[in-house]
Amino acid sequence: MRRGSIVQLIVIGVLAGAIASAFALIPNWLPEPASKEAGRIDFVFWFVTGICIFVFSIVAAVSVFAVWKFRAKPDDDSDGAPIHGHTGLEIAWTAVPTLLVTSIAVVSAIVLAKDDAQGANPLRVEVTAQQFFWSYRYPESGNKESDVLRLPVNRSIVLHLTSKDVIHSFWVPEFRQKQDIVPGIHPTLHITPTKVGTYPVICTELCGLGHALMRSRAIVMTDDAFQKWAAQKGGA
Amino acid sequence: MTSVVAAEHQPYAAHEGLPPPPGGWRRLLYPGFLRAAWMAPLFFGIGCGIVVLCRWWGGWHPIWFGEIIVLVGALIAAPIGFLAGVGVFDYWVRYAIGAPTVPEDHTGHGAYSWRDYFRVNTDHKVIGMQYLVTTVVFFLIAGLLAMLVRAELAKPGMQFFDNQTYNGLFSVHASLMIFLFVIPAFAGLANFVVPLMLGAPDMAFPRLNALSYWLLPIAGIMMVSSFLVPGGAFASGWTGYAPLSVHQPMGTIFFNMGVQWAGASSIMTALNFLVTIITMRAPGMTFWRMPLLVWANFTTSLLVVIATPFIAGSQFFVMFDRVMHTHFFDIAGGGYPLGYQHIFWFYSHPAVYIMMLPGFGIASEVISTFSRKPIFGYRLMALSLMAILVLGFSVWAHHMFVSGMAPWLRVPMMVTTLLIAIPTGIKVFSWLATMWEGKIHFNTPMLWAAGFVSMFVIGGLSGIYLGAVPIDIHVSDTYFVVAHIHYVLFGGSLFTIFAGIYYWFPKMTGRMYNETLGKLHFWLTFVGFNATFFPMHLIGTQGMPRRVSDYDPMFAHWNMFISVASFFLGASTIVFLYNMITSWVRGPKAESNPWRAHTLEWQVSSPPPYFNFDELPQVVGTPYEYGVPGARHAVFNGDRVGELEEVKH
Repeated sequence: MRRGSIVQLIVIGVLAGAIASAFALIPNWLPEPASKEAGRIDFVFWFVTGICIFVFSIVAAVSVFAVWKFRAKPDDDSDGAPIHGHTGLEIAWTAVPTLLVTSIAVVSAIVLAKDDAQGANPLRVEVTAQQFFWSYRYPESGNKESDVLRLPVNRSIVLHLTSKDVIHSFWVPEFRQKQDIVPGIHPTLHITPTKVGTYPVICTELCGLGHALMRSRAIVMTDDAFQKWAAQKGGA
Repeated sequence: MTSVVAAEHQPYAAHEGLPPPPGGWRRLLYPGFLRAAWMAPLFFGIGCGIVVLCRWWGGWHPIWFGEIIVLVGALIAAPIGFLAGVGVFDYWVRYAIGAPTVPEDHTGHGAYSWRDYFRVNTDHKVIGMQYLVTTVVFFLIAGLLAMLVRAELAKPGMQFFDNQTYNGLFSVHASLMIFLFVIPAFAGLANFVVPLMLGAPDMAFPRLNALSYWLLPIAGIMMVSSFLVPGGAFASGWTGYAPLSVHQPMGTIFFNMGVQWAGASSIMTALNFLVTIITMRAPGMTFWRMPLLVWANFTTSLLVVIATPFIAGSQFFVMFDRVMHTHFFDIAGGGYPLGYQHIFWFYSHPAVYIMMLPGFGIASEVISTFSRKPIFGYRLMALSLMAILVLGFSVWAHHMFVSGMAPWLRVPMMVTTLLIAIPTGIKVFSWLATMWEGKIHFNTPMLWAAGFVSMFVIGGLSGIYLGAVPIDIHVSDTYFVVAHIHYVLFGGSLFTIFAGIYYWFPKMTGRMYNETLGKLHFWLTFVGFNATFFPMHLIGTQGMPRRVSDYDPMFAHWNMFISVASFFLGASTIVFLYNMITSWVRGPKAESNPWRAHTLEWQVSSPPPYFNFDELPQVVGTPYEYGVPGARHAVFNGDRVGELEEVKH
């Protein structure tokens, strides 16, 4: 390959990388994170995005260059160079992706272990899903019931989830955490809210007629406000 | 004696197709739609009779129970009556009752008029066309259902459909696209091409081949007609998760049984391909001289025969829970709902490769031919197919990262999922390296193949996001997943199906398609596809769940944009249909080898002779020796002896 071609190839690669980076950075891909877990999951998201932009740039550079430079003239009936393979190249494009995906697996496994770990003194909330609504119960506050999920900020929360009928799935995009609730299985989900605010609770597993409307709210409050609410009798 | 020997040496004696049907009432006994028209209702009656008799005998009330009668009569017995009526069982029945049969009976082989495409035919080329036309019909129906889904989603709130109908629309859309389009369309292309590429006169079991085709329309009609039954179409998604699917209206059993018919068709075809590829290769066609399309269909067939029984089982279990009150997925009866997902995905993840590997094969053929270069790293290409086959069975639970399965299972499944990116990556890099330094001709098939590589890269990269458990927890069951599957199945499978249809169109029909319209079709689809599906990544990560008829108004703008783009995308199909129909009817006559390709199907006339090869090819080298002076893939007896030198590569 001539030096000029290599320069052209690099220029296309950089351009493709710049376009991909613009796609990654300009729109708001992820909702504002509102939990500790969200921060870690976002880290994995951007880590993978970095690797994907790298791979995309190489592939785009090679394909754009090939389409541009190796296009045959209409009357050219000759064949291309009879290249059957290149062992070194084939080893390289087996080994480099192996390293990249291994790094993703390691980062993911570490984040997963951290997100699954229960913090000290967790607040237990029992979440019940049924067609087509959510209800919440607070054993620490005398089994107080609520149809919105109220949580204190900066405290480790452990949700104990139960379904009464079919499979539902608990998701708060701002927390990034999601858990299916298969009847008969009582999974837990760990969340540490970090920002006061109101967020949607969305059912993400098709559960029948009212699936699209099976929504509720998660309200993250200051610790004082939460304690005050928890001490009241009644009141959602 | 000599005449007997001569007859044995000419098994494919000239014939003129089936004898004309008899006149009068005997015509009702002649295999075809007329006989099917009375045999299907007869079998329906027999099915009803069995149900009523059993219920009366067992003292179960009510004796007339609609759902069971529909299941046994309409979904099991009537299709068998239809199959018997059109005549797929005739030869076997004659054999079984001891009536005279001729093992080398070729009366059902070949198309001598257009009518021969509408009867049971044992010619793999006719069956290939039957497959393709049927699957395109279901592709159009499924595409229209997608248009209806997008119409409802164009604005937040409810516009056209109630929730149950909406859930039915996307469920039937996905089921038709998967079971009646992508899987059988690849089977149809392979049906036409694989025996030709191997140098074989037909598939190993032509009558079984005919049976596997005729099961397809049954499955398709069953799924579509579920819209007509009380309660509407099956509405628990193509995944049909229990326990929701157990308690849905009657339409669900149409899905349960439709999958059985389509699955049986898949398994029979796959067995047929395996036997054909193993036993019917022309002299000199070693495994390492087979075109990559044949390799791809070999691995796909292995996937099909190993995996498909699992989805058959999962749907039977759901149906048994419903009609026989078993407790496979009923928690109160000691059942295990999560078990459904494990069994389902043990098929349905390999099914993703069933829907992709044949496309890899098509891309390899097209890219090598139109780049005028040998395929880069041929053996590693074949081996990576095998690697995907093996790894494909170890990744199913990545669909279940948030399901509540054993938490320890997540990391091993993540590792295998990410590892499968390596053989897939090898294939992408090898296609690019095949194009490198080539003399690329951007005819329509090559546009689709190159478009496939670029779209599949995006689908593959979004797959890496989904493979990483923490990200998957956030985006699972959102529009990000919808975007990913469409980049893989539309940008991947469908683009390669189009590449294959345009590439082999001259061979199949003997006529050329219109190149300008072909290119126009590609560019309209390419733009429409990206405009439709790329924004779905964004609304998915931002928080829009999938399978909803209504959504947060913050996604209104993007959904309107996507819907408009999807109508544009749907309209691009009209160009395809117009081109196919007009070119088939009055396109210019095609040469035998318009692409100057080396594989065997291009060394015979277009369309090929009734038994493919008038003389047996002798394979002497690998199929992609472009640019190697004097290299040949195969020689025919009529060729000069001096060219019978083996080419080593």
